[in-house]
Amino acid sequence: MTLTHLHGMLLFALIISVAFGFLSRRRPLDRLKYIAWSLFLFLLVGIGIGWAMYPFSR
Amino acid sequence: MPNNGDFLASSKREGYALALAVAGWAVPGLGHALQRMWGRALTFFLCVGLLVVVGARARGNVFTAAPGDAFDTLGYAADLGTGSFYLLARDMETDGADVSRSGGDYGTRFLATAGVLNLLAALHAYETARGRKA
Repeated sequence: MTLTHLHGMLLFALIISVAFGFLSRRRPLDRLKYIAWSLFLFLLVGIGIGWAMYPFSR
Repeated sequence: MPNNGDFLASSKREGYALALAVAGWAVPGLGHALQRMWGRALTFFLCVGLLVVVGARARGNVFTAAPGDAFDTLGYAADLGTGSFYLLARDMETDGADVSRSGGDYGTRFLATAGVLNLLAALHAYETARGRKA
């Protein structure tokens, strides 16, 4: 199985967001909001750190 | 002051909670399934299972008990957190680890995360059985 950086990050963020949503919230709507917010923050931080490292990558 | 009956009920409940935690560690989601929390049980089973399968298929490092440095020991402890799925990961990774590529490196993280996530789920099952969380 070939896993690129983007695939790895997306899959990791999605799985962990879902698991944390079910772990910390009880009602379905609260879970959905938590999952969406957590996923957004995972991606924001991941892509943000990626761009922050860009000047040093060459 | 608690009487003898309360003490017995409390220690029985504690033992039951501990058994659920061990069950949840051994088979991801089982600790919640035994408490009829089907959604959480299925979610933890699938999430931990998916992380293990992807991690092993991407040729991540499945650490063993062989003596190594501190990181190997920590990795082994994290991988053991997946319970019975650790054996699945060992069985699936027939070609050995390849962390020279990003995929293999991600695989190592996926496997370690699966273990830590499963331990977190088992702890949640324990706390729920004790009546501390819902």
